[in-house]
Formats: sequence, structure tokens, C-alpha cells
Amino acid sequence: MMPLLYAELVKIIKQSKTYYALGAIVLIELLILLIAYYQGSTILDLLLDSLKQSFYFEGTLLNGNLIMYIVLNSLWFNVPLILMIITSGFLTDEYKDGTLQTVMLQAVKKKQFILAKYVVAILFTVAVMAFMMLTTFALAYAIFGKGDLIVYIGTLNFFESDEAFRRICLSFISGAIAMVFYNIAGITFAIFIKESSKTWIVAALFLVVTNLLLKVDLGSSKLNTLFFPKLVDTWQQLFVYEVDWIRILSNNVLLVLYSMFMIILGTYVFDKKDIG
Amino acid sequence: MNRFVFVLFFLWSAKAAFTQEIDADLLAVKKKIDAVQQFSATVIFDLEVPFIRMPTKSAKISYARGEKMQFSSSDFVMLPKRGLDFSMSEIFEYPFITVERGIKKKDGLLLKVLNVIPTDTRSDLAMATLYMDTKANRIVESEINTRKDGSYVLSMQYASERDILPNYVETTFAIERLKIPFNFMGKDTQIDRKKMKETETKTGKIKMQIKDYSVKKD
Repeated sequence: MMPLLYAELVKIIKQSKTYYALGAIVLIELLILLIAYYQGSTILDLLLDSLKQSFYFEGTLLNGNLIMYIVLNSLWFNVPLILMIITSGFLTDEYKDGTLQTVMLQAVKKKQFILAKYVVAILFTVAVMAFMMLTTFALAYAIFGKGDLIVYIGTLNFFESDEAFRRICLSFISGAIAMVFYNIAGITFAIFIKESSKTWIVAALFLVVTNLLLKVDLGSSKLNTLFFPKLVDTWQQLFVYEVDWIRILSNNVLLVLYSMFMIILGTYVFDKKDIG
Repeated sequence: MNRFVFVLFFLWSAKAAFTQEIDADLLAVKKKIDAVQQFSATVIFDLEVPFIRMPTKSAKISYARGEKMQFSSSDFVMLPKRGLDFSMSEIFEYPFITVERGIKKKDGLLLKVLNVIPTDTRSDLAMATLYMDTKANRIVESEINTRKDGSYVLSMQYASERDILPNYVETTFAIERLKIPFNFMGKDTQIDRKKMKETETKTGKIKMQIKDYSVKKD
């Protein structure tokens, strides 16, 4: 298993797609920073307009923590889409180039091979999230500095700088779990579909549908709790003023279970399927 | 002769009406407040507004006679525009008349109730109802009605009998509901339109503990 993992890691490091993904993430961050730099104050004014009639504001809310929160919002669509395209490509490229058949001619077990793909996809996702977190921290704090965070989730919540930082860090961890789930789903789609462009379409559709289903009420609180589209926003629940830690923990555990189910399903299907 | 007496009476009553005297107890309170040339202090405050969640904050305040209260903080702070003038300087800024409204018991204290009505159109104050502790010569509560910024109520507590400035102030004010553009809302934020309409105007409260006073008197 270890040589397989090593080989997969080398492939990721050597393929240009990996750097396109990192470049795309940096580009998203830079765009957010640029928009915030030039229009941030206007956007905040718009948000706080109705309050300005009744309150004085001392200090600034346009700071590194707000930028971090805005960057976190790219976890809804942009980042998972980029990641799913890259990770599904780990397998679809092998189908397209015919390298899969070459690998299978060696003394490699199919189950181990696909498990290595899943493990590497998880490592890649975590690495990208860590990269995203570190680069955003560095850029946002260097340009905008520290400060209180303002977030609207049901109520207008204000968090002091240190508390905001703590919640942002936890959100990146929770967001990473959601991204891992998406990427495992991406590889599973690749197992079923084999062709890269079709897999990308299905991955994008999966993201859109998941985002749409997030607001759907299934009529039962239990179903709502267990339904996976309701779990992918767990990172945002960390910005509710009084955090429901049990909900956060159970949502993340459920997402891990969903991811494990996807891995088992994908491995089973890949094992049974003809590689041709 | 009768006509002459009537004219004299008319002139006397007109003079009485136009030169209405200001309540002596209020003048005593004003004199006590006016003795404060400037002060600075630290305010620790908790904002209680139904749709805003904010941690306890602190700010430095400074006041100089004839000027508006100044606030500064290293943190982000949000303070109501009205209701922070516990030096009462805005009430006494322009000429006014007073109307006595009797005595009212509040928290075991017998308080003199007065209406303060500005006679100068420049004043933003429409009317203030003051609850005065005449024994300690200070205002314990005031209900302020402004021309532009609505109404608010200030309740003050003092650390000792001799203090001019309060060590605890609670300001209650009306606030319009928050209008958040949709694209600022969290993705799974539920919008209850009926509830939103019900809560068109809300009451907010700010509780302030004031400490580390540095007062300069005449």
C-alpha cells in the first residue's frame, strides 16, 4: 500500500493541474482582497446602513478577520468545484491515458489502488485547505490587520478579534471535512463515469443540487439532521453567536461517515468493474 | 376704573406666563453639574438589542463643558447616538421652562418629577421628564423626547450620596429593525416575514458601568 501511496503522491506533485488548483485558489483570494480593498467600506456601509441612524461606530470592521470570513464563503462552490475537478482527474486521467491498465498488469490489487487514490485525494484536500488558510491569513492580516468580525446569521453577530480568529480556524477544519466529502464524492463519480468531462459536469451538478437542497425542509428534524446537504454548511454554524458544539461535532462525524460510505461504495464498484 | 384694574391684571398674568420660573431644585442640580469642568472615565458596556449579539465592550469617555461627550476605544464599539449624555448638558444647552409633575416613589426613593420644555427652536429636545432626588441634588432618571432621534430613557445609579456623576447608567431606546441585504445573509438563514413585520420597531438597551473617573471641577 505504501509504494502505491508514494507513487500517487509523486503523480500529484508532478502534474501541472495541482498547481493550477493552487493558483486558482490564490486568484480567488486576491480577487476578494482587491474587491475588499476598493469596495469593502461601501459594502459594510450598505450592510450597516439601517444601524447608522441609531448608532455611532468607533473602529473598523474592514479587517483581516472579515476577509478570512469572505474567503471561507468560497467553500460553498468555488473551492469544492476546483478540488473535485482535480481529484476526479486522478482517476479519469488514468482511464483516458490507459495507464490504469498498465498499473493493473502489475502486482497491484484493485482495492488497494483505488484506496490509495482516495487517501491521496484526502491528503491533497487537506493540503489545499491548509495552503488556503495560511495564504489568506498572511495576506488578509498583512493588508487589513486584526479587528472584530461582523457576521449576519439570524442575528448580527460581533466577535472580538481573538474569538473571531479561533472560530475561523475551527471553520477551516470543519470546512476541510466538507471538502474531503466532496472530493471523495468526485472520485466515486469518476469510478462510475470514467470520462473526465462528464465527471466534471456531474460534480458541478452535485454541488449545485447540494447547495439548493441545503434550504429544503424535509418535514422531519431527524431527516434534516441526517440529510447530507444540511451538513456541508457546518463550518458556517461556528459563526452563530452561541455555538451548538454537539451539532457541530455530530454534523462533522456524519460527514465523515458519509465519506466512508462513499469510499466503501466506490471501492466495491471499482473492484467489481472491468477496467477497460 | 374697572377697565384699568383689568388691564393691570392682564399685564401681571401675561408677565407671569412669559417669565415662568425654572424649578429651584433643578437649578441646584444644574449648578452641581455645571461645577464639573471636564471628566474622563472608562465605560464597560453591554448592548442588548434583539437582533444584535455583541460581547461586553469597553471605551474611554471624555467630556469637557460645552462640548459633546467623546468616545474612544481600541476595539470596535457601537454606541447609541442618543442617551449617552449623562452629564445632561444637552438638556441645559438652550433656555427652557419647567413644569412640576409632583412626587413619585421609585426604588424606595421619593423623586420630584419635572417636565423640561426648551423655549429655543434650535434645541433638538422636544421635552424631558426628569426624576430628581432633591436630597442628593441629582437626576435619577430622565425620559427624553427629541425632535429627530426619537425617545429614550436614562436610569442612573450613583456610588455614593455625594457623587455628581453616575457609576451605572442604563439607556433604553427604540430602534428600527435591521434591514440586511439578502446577499449578506448566511446561506441557510431562514426568513420569517411575519415575524419580521411584527418586529418593525424594537427596544434596545445599553448598560454602562462607569469607573476610573477623573473629574475636574471649578
